[in-house]
Amino acid sequence: MAGVNAHDPERQETVSRRTVLFGGGVSLLFGGIAARLYQLQISDHQKYLDLAQENQFNRRVLTPLRGEIVDRFGGPLASNRKNFRVLLVPEQARDVDAILDKIDKITPVSEDKRARIMREIRRRGAFTPVQIADNLPWEDFSKLNFELPHLSGVLPDVGETRDYPYGADAAFVIGYVGAVTERDLASQESDEERLLLRQPGFKVGREGLERTYEDELRGEAGAMNVKINAHGRVIEEMTDSAVPPVQGRTLTLTIDSELQAHTMKVLAEPTPGVDQDVQSAAAVVMDVVTGDILVLASTPAFNPNDFNVGIDPDLWKDLNASPYKPLLNKPLSGVYPPGSTFKVISAIAAQRAGVKPSHSVHCPGRVWYGNRYFHCWKRGGHGRMNMKDSLKHSCDVFYYDIAKTLEIDLLADTARKFGLGQTYELGIPGQQRGVVPDRDWKRDYFAGNPAQQPWFQGETLSCIIGQGYVTSTPLQLAVMSARVATGKAVRPRLVRAVGDLILPAPEAPLIDVDQDYLAVVRAGMNAVTNEYGTAARSRLDDPDWQMAGKTGTSQVYAITAEDRARGLAKPEDLPWARRDHALFVSYMPFENPRYACSVVVEHGIGGARAAGPKARDIMKAVAEKDPASRTPLDPRSLARASGVREG
Amino acid sequence: MSSIILPGRRRGARDKLSRLHWPLIILLSMIAGAGVITLYSVAEGNWQPWAIKHGLRYLAALGILAGVAMVPIRYWMALAYPTYFAALFALALVPFIGEVNMGARRWIEFGGLQFQPSEAMKIGLVLGLARYYHSLRAEQVSHILYLIPPALMVGAPVGLIFIQPDLGTALLLAATGAIMIFVAGLSWRIGFLGMLAGVAGGYAAYRFDFLKEYQLKRITTFLDPERDPLGQGYHLLQSKTGIGSGGLTGKGFMEGTQAQLKFLPEMQTDFIFTVFGEEFGFVGAIGLLLVYLAVIFVGLSIAMQSKLHFARMMSVGVVATFTLYVLINTGMVMGLAPVVGVPLPLVSYGGTVMLTIMAGFGLVMSAHVHRDQDMYRSGDSL
Repeated sequence: MAGVNAHDPERQETVSRRTVLFGGGVSLLFGGIAARLYQLQISDHQKYLDLAQENQFNRRVLTPLRGEIVDRFGGPLASNRKNFRVLLVPEQARDVDAILDKIDKITPVSEDKRARIMREIRRRGAFTPVQIADNLPWEDFSKLNFELPHLSGVLPDVGETRDYPYGADAAFVIGYVGAVTERDLASQESDEERLLLRQPGFKVGREGLERTYEDELRGEAGAMNVKINAHGRVIEEMTDSAVPPVQGRTLTLTIDSELQAHTMKVLAEPTPGVDQDVQSAAAVVMDVVTGDILVLASTPAFNPNDFNVGIDPDLWKDLNASPYKPLLNKPLSGVYPPGSTFKVISAIAAQRAGVKPSHSVHCPGRVWYGNRYFHCWKRGGHGRMNMKDSLKHSCDVFYYDIAKTLEIDLLADTARKFGLGQTYELGIPGQQRGVVPDRDWKRDYFAGNPAQQPWFQGETLSCIIGQGYVTSTPLQLAVMSARVATGKAVRPRLVRAVGDLILPAPEAPLIDVDQDYLAVVRAGMNAVTNEYGTAARSRLDDPDWQMAGKTGTSQVYAITAEDRARGLAKPEDLPWARRDHALFVSYMPFENPRYACSVVVEHGIGGARAAGPKARDIMKAVAEKDPASRTPLDPRSLARASGVREG
Repeated sequence: MSSIILPGRRRGARDKLSRLHWPLIILLSMIAGAGVITLYSVAEGNWQPWAIKHGLRYLAALGILAGVAMVPIRYWMALAYPTYFAALFALALVPFIGEVNMGARRWIEFGGLQFQPSEAMKIGLVLGLARYYHSLRAEQVSHILYLIPPALMVGAPVGLIFIQPDLGTALLLAATGAIMIFVAGLSWRIGFLGMLAGVAGGYAAYRFDFLKEYQLKRITTFLDPERDPLGQGYHLLQSKTGIGSGGLTGKGFMEGTQAQLKFLPEMQTDFIFTVFGEEFGFVGAIGLLLVYLAVIFVGLSIAMQSKLHFARMMSVGVVATFTLYVLINTGMVMGLAPVVGVPLPLVSYGGTVMLTIMAGFGLVMSAHVHRDQDMYRSGDSL
């Protein structure tokens, strides 16, 4: 039976024993599992709770709105606008190339851009969002949103970007913002600032006021904890505990944007009868009482909105290669021999040296000094000239005669008193000082050439008519006019208020020269425009707004006998770059001066011909608007936005 | 009443229903219920796509369990070898007609239905081995010659599944087979030698590139999860974080941040214990483990109460499979075992495994219902 019947007590006993053994083993293993649970959930609970918290919350930097830049009446010169852009979280995209291919079908992604994106991904790691396109038109942006399910790792985002409503017209006043560089990051003082700068698409001031007032304009970053899921998608924003960002402070300028735009238009107009389309020119309009700069114009100009979105390399190349230097802030950084506009300085210096306004000189058209002739601009000569006439007709011989005995240091001192040879605190980097030569200057300048170190009186003859070593910027020439008009050491300013803090107008003490010396200079300048002087054509007809002025034509290239032999007679025959600069300085009204203006037209051939009419057109608009009589913006009325920036 | 019913006498279905082991059904239902609520939570408070299906499948599987339990145990004994060989045949077909899915060939199409032979083999092997040991005498069991057939019975399917490749199921089957051979009465000496051979074989597999790269990676990651925190180790770390952050009483139903924020992989299947542990804490997880342990003990006690050797061995085999699932899965999500893709029985979403488990418990239940029956070694009724 034993072999057949299943009843086999021994076998059954073994199985039962082993089953119990198995049950015991299982219990032990379950005990092990329970012990592990105890370890994870009880002993190390805090550690894992922290890890879960870390997973769950992400501290997100809230980017502040950049402070606006407004003109004297509150009109926007630099503001912020919505920027539809696309970010990519590389870690979630997995195949970045494939994603970029898909995006390329909606909005082009150039090879350059692709390379830049890849670089940025390598540099910033897989978890930081990288901007792959911005300033998208709404149609493209919505198309992208539609395709989103097929674009893993792609985050559409509405950011803010800088907007310059006046475009090129105010380019040199405002400057522009640009992408953050490694150097920017390195120069930040705190980690928080660095974190803010690392936000995708964040921009910092690169040029002009945007750069100088970066700290004021940037604002303060806010922060918010956001609950994210494993895919980095935001599930919930912890708005209760959020620290809102604070918008940067508003810069209120002294600029009148209407006049600024008008001036840009006037500057760009070609001179009738001259074969030259592009006008490389500069103009400054100042309030002579307050020093407020109403207009700071330079043509041709770049458009700061192009820089804002990341400048196209070809455009950048063109801007740099252009002979008209569209990247040069000519009113502040362009240096030009002042030419005959300098004679207002010379006339004052002469009086300081004892020359009476009634002093007269016969102008035969040229004068012999040293070993050569010095020519008057008028070949046939002016005949007998007193000081006022010398300004009215811009007679060179009158000044050559004075220069024979005039101490150069006195001339230089006068020039400096009236604003030349120095820079002004405007907040725009790159200002040039120009040159006001004197004995010390020459000794330093020719440090390596002892033979040239002494001052030669013949050089005074060149300097006294604003040639030779003398150079100045359009801003300095405007300051000079303002100072001649008022007798005060007027100082220009560009920023009226930072935030709600109004900056005090700079002091303008009387200039310590005999104020009587100025009378004949003013009379001479008045005669230039209003008494059929050199710029009679640039006269303003409004009796309330009589404009006094002074023309200047500074030589760039001396026409040689050889040139004449080749038939080069007129300056128009010269190539543009060799033609004389045209300058004009002015102020108005003559009786109770309020505004000063300087105009420089590079290679404009003649001050009276090219610069004077532009100054007239500019000042006419200034007179019509009379911005100084209007109430400017009260910066205290500005409310700072602390709105949370989207994205 | 049962005491007066003679062994082998046919019983009415009604009568049999009353003989079902109802506490076991309640325990299994508790586990499935835990599955339903966890799946509801994983779907962020939605019955779709998992919770409702899971519940319905369980009810259907419960029907199958009852059905299997009603069938007299002798029929199952008669079907034991055919089932085993049918499963083996299907497994052997997989390399030729199987569907490739995620780099592995595991499924075959059968009458429009997808069918996983390795899953059927879990039942087939248990039945086959139980049937084999039913026919052995006590002294034969510990004899090495009689170890050859079961070794082949285990080795053949394990090998076939290993090359699919499905390391998890292969190891599970091998372990189930080993447990059954041990329980059947394998001599300790041979058992010890067998274990040595197993370790040597494992080492050889590791050494001579028998393992696929991903399998190797799982093992190395298991040994040192911090080495690769964003790859394989990431899942494990997130899983440990989920369980650990649950603490004593858990974050509450549907409040598990790791789960709700999708930091966990395969939350509805392999990592569902993490979700449960995160939301219900140490108390909940221990509770669930105790229910599992209760099921195991009930299963083992049924085995021990069965007169029929086949039923004993079969019940032990089913319970062993079930136990291995639970231990490997919970160990895996807590970093005690490599991540090999083994679900938590009745809690993880997935129809095939639920069917296997419930059919297995159907057999156990059949053993319970027919516990007083005995048969000859040949399989003939007394």
